[in-house]
Amino acid sequence: MKNEWGDVRSGTDAYDLAGKKALVIGAGDPAGRAIALALGEAGADVTVSSISNDGDEIMRAKKVQQELTKMGRKSATVATDVTLGTGVQVMVRQVAKDLGSLDILVNAPDLFLGKPADATTDMEWNRVMQVVLSGTFHACRAAGKEMLKQRSGRIINVSSVLGERGMANAAAYCAAQAGVLNLTRALSQEWGPSGITVNAIAQGWMDYSPAIGNPDPAANQTVRFVPMKRAGAADELASLAVYLASDSSAYISGQVMSVDGGLTTHL
Amino acid sequence: MVLERLRLDGKVAIVTGAGRGLGRQMSLALAEAGADVVCAARTAEQIERTAKDIEALGRHAVAQPTDVRDSKQCEALIQRAADEFGHLDIMLSNAGIGDARGMSSELWDVTDDDWRDTLDVNLSSAFYCARAASKQMVAEGHGGVIINVASGTAMRANPTGFGYGAAKAGVIALTKSLSAMLQKHNIRVNCIVPGFVAQAPPRNEQQRDFTLARGRYIAAQRLGYAWELGPLAIFLASDASSYVNGQPFVIDGGGLAGGLAPMGFAPEVAV
Repeated sequence: MKNEWGDVRSGTDAYDLAGKKALVIGAGDPAGRAIALALGEAGADVTVSSISNDGDEIMRAKKVQQELTKMGRKSATVATDVTLGTGVQVMVRQVAKDLGSLDILVNAPDLFLGKPADATTDMEWNRVMQVVLSGTFHACRAAGKEMLKQRSGRIINVSSVLGERGMANAAAYCAAQAGVLNLTRALSQEWGPSGITVNAIAQGWMDYSPAIGNPDPAANQTVRFVPMKRAGAADELASLAVYLASDSSAYISGQVMSVDGGLTTHL
Repeated sequence: MVLERLRLDGKVAIVTGAGRGLGRQMSLALAEAGADVVCAARTAEQIERTAKDIEALGRHAVAQPTDVRDSKQCEALIQRAADEFGHLDIMLSNAGIGDARGMSSELWDVTDDDWRDTLDVNLSSAFYCARAASKQMVAEGHGGVIINVASGTAMRANPTGFGYGAAKAGVIALTKSLSAMLQKHNIRVNCIVPGFVAQAPPRNEQQRDFTLARGRYIAAQRLGYAWELGPLAIFLASDASSYVNGQPFVIDGGGLAGGLAPMGFAPEVAV
């Protein structure tokens, strides 16, 4: 649309991702899957990655790749253990090389630990920190190197409202997600002048959250606690991810955007 | 399809402050996404121009001169939407102005009228519009969306005026409570929080220099452009944000995420 600002993007074309190259890590699990497919629907070529070398997880990611290919997008599956920084670096460099550039990185690790703090072992604490926080950093660092060269890029970290609030039996998870949110803010400042935006989507209680069990509000007190009286669906995260991945969101950075049915407004 | 959920076809929106700046750009964007728009502001010529530009996009638009400080005029505005289009789906309360002239002088020189006027135009207006719009939406028997516009000054100090920031902080609190209150009527309430955003392209060299200088303090290294509010408004107005409620959405080039050191300060110290 032409107006006093020139030819500006508005309407549905504002979210068009045609020609963009994306990497979605954690695409075998519901949030990453929905986001990978939505980026594909909006026109992006999407490489999907697992967060571990678990065979089932890699197969689930592979299925997402097949759906993307069916859509007519260029897609590939890579298997990565996000806890290993060097491995992630090699993977991201290879993906950027294969795609020709890397415009969009989505980190969507899906790992929850529900355990009393006094019973949490070193191994459990370290596992949550390694996958959620270190894994996100490893991928951001590797993708940032590509994006700094291009002087443009979009990084979207799928995090949780538990990164901003406390909850019983979730000390490790709360701490790791809080780390992801402030990592997001720090990188937004460091890479903002290079045309890279870094944002986080904070999920509330989603219908796939392992922590809540049965998402049916009739059977679940936690879901009834949400002002909207229902759990969210992965698609409801994905539309925000498409906006944050688009050129139209160039002036949004360092932000935590909650998709939580009003949960964080609760008294 | 994700892009279809970002359409607003068949929806009717009211935008206050639609004559210029952010409100004008958000009005045009909602129309581009398929909505018909009632454009409101005090100055008739400006909203008539926005309405004309919306008609040129193939949508319907009407201009309703409104002083949002007056609750009766806000009610008339909502009535106009119902009369003209038969229903109301989106209420975008964008109208606002910076502090009254007195607010940047010494604190003891600020008059009661200065203070009240700042709160009326920036905070009470959002309440009047939300009250009338939600009543209308519920009477029509469907849900809807209310979008308020606050400001980054709601969260940080503003040395050149305090009333505006206080009022806009009120808008954020109003957004959260109204979201909880209107939830049972299937009305979502969210809030856009702009940082430093240029209302119009710079008109001369002096303005260009000013915006460039100001932009250096922001991670994005520039001011925002008014049109960049459009896609965010569409997202919040559409079904794409169906699980988003009571939230402030900051669009500020990374300003609020930082602010602890001048831009460019980057210490390198070994562990």
